[in-house]
Order: sequence, then structure tokens, then C-alpha cells
Amino acid sequence: MQTHLLERNYLLANLKELIVRTLRLEDVSPEDIIDSEPLFGEGLGLDSIDALELVVAIEREYQVEIPDAEVGRRAFASVSALGDFVLEKSSAQKASDAVG
Amino acid sequence: MRFKGKIALITGGIRGIGAAIGKRFIQEGAQVVVTYFQDKDQARKFQHEIGGAGAQVHQADASDFDQMKALFARVLKQFGRLDILVNNAGIRRDNLVMFMSDGEWHDVLQINLKGTFICSKLALKPMIAQRWGRVINIVSPSSIMGREGQANYAAAKGGVASFTKSLAREVGKIGITVNAVSPGVKDTDMTRSLPEKTLAELKQSIPMGHFGQPDDVSGMVLYLASEEASYITGQVISVDGGLT
Repeated sequence: MQTHLLERNYLLANLKELIVRTLRLEDVSPEDIIDSEPLFGEGLGLDSIDALELVVAIEREYQVEIPDAEVGRRAFASVSALGDFVLEKSSAQKASDAVG
Repeated sequence: MRFKGKIALITGGIRGIGAAIGKRFIQEGAQVVVTYFQDKDQARKFQHEIGGAGAQVHQADASDFDQMKALFARVLKQFGRLDILVNNAGIRRDNLVMFMSDGEWHDVLQINLKGTFICSKLALKPMIAQRWGRVINIVSPSSIMGREGQANYAAAKGGVASFTKSLAREVGKIGITVNAVSPGVKDTDMTRSLPEKTLAELKQSIPMGHFGQPDDVSGMVLYLASEEASYITGQVISVDGGLT
């Protein structure tokens, strides 16, 4: 599915931009962030306070809910995982909107 | 008009200290949302006093997550932001520990401590998004020095003081300050319900020699909510005439 891949790549680029902007990362540009690299701890080296800001930013930007720490841990494993989470949640949202 | 354009939510805000805080915020330009638990007559009286300008009064149980979630959603929908939260809703069910019932323990912990947790949690998302916020928790001298007959209240307010310090550490980097104000013994309905002997003893133990007025506290709360206090966080500040 060509369009699906394009959509995903576009989303990942947007997410990287959002991460850099939200956290005001000075030494990192969006292109520096590797899709599969962990965002927290090693990798990008974000901490749990950064996570608070990211959760709020992602929820606002993509109209998804990250209700607890477990979901957050899964969603924020990497940019790639975050992209999948947003796609999954927003398609679920669209489906329920369509039904509702 | 230090608070022009700011939205402040005050729990338990229709009488005593909460009402004094609300009125001061309105005077200084804030849009104020006040909650009360059940006293409709007092709520009407408060609404009348403030003349409907700059304030909304809503019935809600500050310790009920679903009720507060709905209220916060309503506030955010209407104003698009929340700048200041004052966790003031509180009750006392005094008794000596020997005779204290499960209910007396539970109710006091529920409103004073869990209510503070719930409202703070709900306030964080808008405050984080704004990268600006003020959480101010009202505690008590009991939480600092203890008081016979108030083990439940002291435990709850002591919990709020520790909660204040912990939350301050979690959100300081994001521009949100979290502080507590300990009002000492104030001349309010809650104090007037104490036995006369206790009241006389209390007065003697205050270096300033008299009880405080609700407005003594509101001045400190407004200061902590202001831009001037942006480097103060995680503190419990007593406005108590020297009592503690």
C-alpha cells in the first residue's frame, strides 16, 4: 500500500518535528531522530518530565488519549512506535465517529 | 489588575477563606470558577455578593473524579485555558483517635487529600500545554504541629503538604509552581464550631494575640499565583500570626 507508507512517513516526520518543538531540543534537529531509536533513557535521552509535555502535545495535535503510564511506555518506545500508536488510535477514532 | 485574562478555579469557594480568595481574584481581573459541595443557600449568597461579575459557581464534589473531570472539561471548553487552581475544599470531623470511626477518618482523607490529588491531576494537562500554571493548596497548622482531636485532619493536610512538594518537583521545569499556604486559626465558620475552651487556649498560643481574617490568607495566595512568585515552588508558607 503505497499511500499508506507515504502517510506513515509523513506522520513520522511530523512527530519528530513536534518532539523537537515541544521539548525545545537545541542540539537535535528532526532529521537526527532515528525512527527505531528509543526516545527515553538511551537513544534520544528524554526523561519522564519530557514525557509529560509530549503526552499533552501528542494528545492535542492528534486527538488521541494516552490514559496511563503503560500505554505511554508502549507509545513512546520510539518514533516508529509512536507513529503506529497514533495511526491505530486515530483510525479507531474515525471508525467510531463513522458508527456514531 | 495582576490577573487580567487569567482563569482561576477554586474548590470550596463560597465561604470563609475560599470566598475571600475568589473575591480578590475577581477584583484583580481574573475569571473565577468556584465550586461548592452542597450548601445551595450559601452559594446563592456568594453569587449575590460578587454580583455575577467575573465568576461562575458550580456544585461539584471535589473528591469525585468524574464530577471534577466534567467540570474541568466545561471550563476548558468555555475559556480554552486554566491558569490557577486553588485546592481549598476541606472538611473536619474531629475526634480523639481512640474514638474515631472509619467514616470520620475516611471522609476527611477523601475530601482534603484525595480531592487535592484529583483536581491537581486534572489541572496539569492545560497547564503543561500553556507551560504556565499555579497550583496552591490550602493546608493547616495541624499539619505542621499536630492537634489533639484532629489526627485525621492533620494527616490529610500533612499529606497535602508532602504532595505539594512532590508535585512541585514533577512540573517545575514546565513553568508550573505548586505551593501550600497554612492559614493558622482564622475567624471562620469552621473555627467558630470549636469548643470555647479550645478557642481561648488557641488565642493564647498565637504570638500576634488574635485570630486571623480570611483576607490575610488571600493576599498570600494571590502573591503565589502572580508573576512575581514565579521562582517559589514546593513551599508551605504559614500565614498564622506566628502560631507555628
